[in-house]
Amino acid sequence: MTNLLRSPVLWAALLLAAVASTLPWWLSGYVLGVLTVAYYFGVFSMAWDLLFGFAGEVNFGPTFLIGLGAYTAAILDAKWGPPIPVCIIAGGLVALIGGLLLALPALRLRGPYFGLVTLVAVLLLQNCIVIFAGVTGGEIGMTVPDVLSVRAEDNYWYALAFLIVCAIILFGLSRSAIGLILQASGQDAVGAQALGFNVTKHKLAAFCISAVFSGVAGAMLIFYQGTASVSTVVDLGVGVQIIIAAVLGGRRTILGAVLGSVFLIVAGEFLRPLGQINTFVVAAVALAVILFFPDGLLGNLLRVTARERE
Amino acid sequence: MVWLQILIDGFAISSLYALGAIGFTLIFGVSGVLNLAHGGVMLVAALMGWMLAGEARIGTYLGTLLGVLSGLACAYVTYLMVVRPIQRSAAIPREEKEIFVLTGTLLWGIMIQQGMAYLFTDNPVTMRPLIAGVVSIAGVRTPLNEIMIAVICWVVIGLLWLFVNRTRAGKALLAASINPRGLTLLGFELSRVYLLAWTIYGVLAGVAGVLLASFLGVSSNNTGQLTASAFSIVVLGGLGSVSGSLMAAYVVGYLETITAYLIAPTLRPLPALLLLVLVVYVRPQGLLGRR
Amino acid sequence: MSGTDTPRLQVRGLTKRFGGLLAVKGIGFDIQAGEILGLIGPNGSGKSTVMKLIMGIERPNAGSVKLDGVEMAGWAPHRIARAGVGIVFQHSRPLHRQTVLEHIKLALLPDSLIKLFADPHVERRAREIAERVELGAVMHRHPSSLPFADLRRMEMAKAIARDPKVVLVDEPFAGLNAAESESFAALIRGFRAEGRAVLLVDHNVKSLAALVDRVLAMYLGEHVAEGTAEEVMQDETVRRVYIGGKIETRERPPDEARSKVSILEVQDLSVFYGKARALDTVSMHVREGEFVSVVGLNGAGKTTLFNAISGLLPYQGRIRFGGRDLNGMTGAAVARAGIVQCPETRELFGDMTVRENLDLGGYHLPSGARLPQLTWLFELFPILKSRQGQTARTLSGGEQQMLAIARALMMQPKLLVLDEPTLGLAPVILEQLSKALERLQQTTPITVLLGEQNVTFALPHADRVYVLEHARIVWEGNPARFAKEMGRGYLEAEVADGTSVHPGSE
Repeated sequence: MTNLLRSPVLWAALLLAAVASTLPWWLSGYVLGVLTVAYYFGVFSMAWDLLFGFAGEVNFGPTFLIGLGAYTAAILDAKWGPPIPVCIIAGGLVALIGGLLLALPALRLRGPYFGLVTLVAVLLLQNCIVIFAGVTGGEIGMTVPDVLSVRAEDNYWYALAFLIVCAIILFGLSRSAIGLILQASGQDAVGAQALGFNVTKHKLAAFCISAVFSGVAGAMLIFYQGTASVSTVVDLGVGVQIIIAAVLGGRRTILGAVLGSVFLIVAGEFLRPLGQINTFVVAAVALAVILFFPDGLLGNLLRVTARERE
Repeated sequence: MVWLQILIDGFAISSLYALGAIGFTLIFGVSGVLNLAHGGVMLVAALMGWMLAGEARIGTYLGTLLGVLSGLACAYVTYLMVVRPIQRSAAIPREEKEIFVLTGTLLWGIMIQQGMAYLFTDNPVTMRPLIAGVVSIAGVRTPLNEIMIAVICWVVIGLLWLFVNRTRAGKALLAASINPRGLTLLGFELSRVYLLAWTIYGVLAGVAGVLLASFLGVSSNNTGQLTASAFSIVVLGGLGSVSGSLMAAYVVGYLETITAYLIAPTLRPLPALLLLVLVVYVRPQGLLGRR
Repeated sequence: MSGTDTPRLQVRGLTKRFGGLLAVKGIGFDIQAGEILGLIGPNGSGKSTVMKLIMGIERPNAGSVKLDGVEMAGWAPHRIARAGVGIVFQHSRPLHRQTVLEHIKLALLPDSLIKLFADPHVERRAREIAERVELGAVMHRHPSSLPFADLRRMEMAKAIARDPKVVLVDEPFAGLNAAESESFAALIRGFRAEGRAVLLVDHNVKSLAALVDRVLAMYLGEHVAEGTAEEVMQDETVRRVYIGGKIETRERPPDEARSKVSILEVQDLSVFYGKARALDTVSMHVREGEFVSVVGLNGAGKTTLFNAISGLLPYQGRIRFGGRDLNGMTGAAVARAGIVQCPETRELFGDMTVRENLDLGGYHLPSGARLPQLTWLFELFPILKSRQGQTARTLSGGEQQMLAIARALMMQPKLLVLDEPTLGLAPVILEQLSKALERLQQTTPITVLLGEQNVTFALPHADRVYVLEHARIVWEGNPARFAKEMGRGYLEAEVADGTSVHPGSE
């Protein structure tokens, strides 16, 4: 526990959170909207980092889990209109099932095969949504009758609060005893087993946690945007952006993923006037990061400070 | 009647898929890379070929040739500027190299897609057929171009087979996919062997790209689907097995054609995906997989 | 110490098959509480597999493994670990962002999905353990900043943390110097004193001799000898397996025509695998036309030496070939320069035919030279000619070895490096190989560097012999002197200046 409190990352994060909560008083609704999306993205990326950085499983299609959560909530709300929290919980549950479905081959497949499965999962979900266009609105998407709020400030605070809660839980997990076991399982499964840990059980748990957070965040996102569409929540490109955000921020830091997401979304907005070329630029920047700074922002920072301490 | 049409059309599209998939699997077998920019390479070849043949008025044949060369150039850039730097990077731990290469090629593919869309818009383009005219096969009207495409595909595949099995350089390539360390011990620089592999891949993907443009047309929106089909086929056939890819290409090609004709054109990509999921759960090494 | 009713660990009829290969055949032994058993064998003997089978990392095809009478064979590894079996791996993959103390704490954690925080006593216990293994001063540091010996201590600490009833230790002294080995031996003796059963797995009886109570020797998956360390070292079968039989030397004709120029010079060569020292300032040379044998047990460093010479791994020191410094040349470039290695693993192209393998060897020759070279090789190894069209994978072990050597010879090497060609081959094949080498020596001016554990094979052809042990050259001379000085007690011999290299002896 003391270790946690001593962590400089934690204090920096608290500071940033405090600053962030004051932003609505002096930023425009447009900027708040961008940040709101960025915060949800932050949760997506943190969930991804937990799975990759800790359990060692690369998920190329995080939007499979996000999409499941989002569309479940959307369809539920459109068809039967239960209160928003119920829809969100339902989204999380369906995403959990999806996570288990992904976990099964993962625990038996090696290397590139699992990555392929995750990609295929997204494509399949896309096709399903398009096929059942009657219910899902197909490629155009569907509108969601309820939203969290119509005020930009409220939406911003919902998103920020959600981000902070998720960050606390996920970061806390990563620094806890469970996180340690998970890391060991991901990096050296045989070694972890020799220490008496049931690696399969722990990896499954990681999948479930990642799935639930992704699904719930996806559901919340569509209740913010008021629409659900394939291009926003079940897209391969979006999935790649989530991965890039986590890598940019620094793998295995959890909190770095938030930094990466904010940077990516804000930069994307900045470059929007360039038109179609903006995706190109973002992808180019991400490629450059992979080639030259694979440890990411926070990762590099932590490495430098660790070296100085020793 | 419909069945004959399915037979012919399916054959043509399968041959095209086979060409692309064989290139994809060759790169994996020899250099261990799953090139997720595959669709992008084909796209570059297709669009450049179309532009040079049509707009620049050089003529269809020269345009096609230059299109293939563009695909080759794109393959080189993919290897030399994305894949190789990641593979040689000291900053990335060895266990994660594969994932980084995958992500890198994925990003590069996106860059190509967006870049091409910016330059050419994402409207579908079709290249003028290499051979005009229609022929009637047992009552089914088939464009001569379609037959020509199938023939070209098979000629290229045949040339590849000859190269790998009858030439010394080809044998070296085959040996690299079996045991790269053995080759190093015999004085072969692996970097040159890999360059050869990517050269062949560039030609294969380039030809597949321009032929696709001529047959069905392409648009930058197809990029992801092209890559997905290729790795679908390759996983089905078994990663690293060229004959497996060949067989799987026909399975997928015919499944798609049958679906498009008999069920609905929009559901075209679905059976391949379902089959892929089945394979991954039941027999991950595919039909003839080695690794 | 010993003499209780139920042995702490009881292994019977342990068998493991990998595809067509029977790696472990009916191995059985007991270890009492407070006893140390050494399990020794050369590469491919199956000793590491036995260790993995006990730990559950591999599932046995048959046999039983009982801990205090409870059957564990077939259990998942984590269950075996919780039952009381601990293992100290030779190589570990530590978590780079965690400190040494956190690694030890990990080993103390229960296998729970919901326990977020460790119990308060965990921290205290982890500190105690860190002190015990002499990591007290560095327990807040990260693994990447620690030397190899400390990393191994950390692995020991993790094993101790589990409070195991049985401890399996893989190659306890590999990569450690004399002082470090001594402190490790003390730790292992501590295990015995605490009443645990200890299994030490190693290539080499010598290094374990002073530490173990009993030794079991394995070869090709089978039990070959059992007894005290001295008994096993003197055992006929063991000596045959390790040394190869009676040591005889052949009369080497003094050939003045043979040039005395050194073509290969190795100076102060050191190689590190991560932090572990695999070669320690090795210096040796090979003269043109000479046949030099480097003799040593598995794990001594022969393969590392050859791989450094072939440019296949980074090293410190100098290697010169024909006057030219090989530093910076790629492996392929070194091969083209004339040093061709035929490695222990042979590295054949299994799916290609014999002829295709040979053709690839002759790839870089001018086209006119290829066929004559091939013809000459077919005379040297007639069996390859008759099996030309067969795929390499389907050849027998001896035929594969001949193919590997022939393929290397296709390159017309100036220096042929052979690494353990006799590994796993039957005596009759060794005869054939020996004859082929003899012919090679007589008919060509080839220079050969041979690395072998089998002294009987290595000695007759050699002009000079080096003995490599624990990463250092400990002896050099001609075969006759070797037979006199080392032959008798090759397995027990000491360094020339009389200092002992046995850790654990006082």
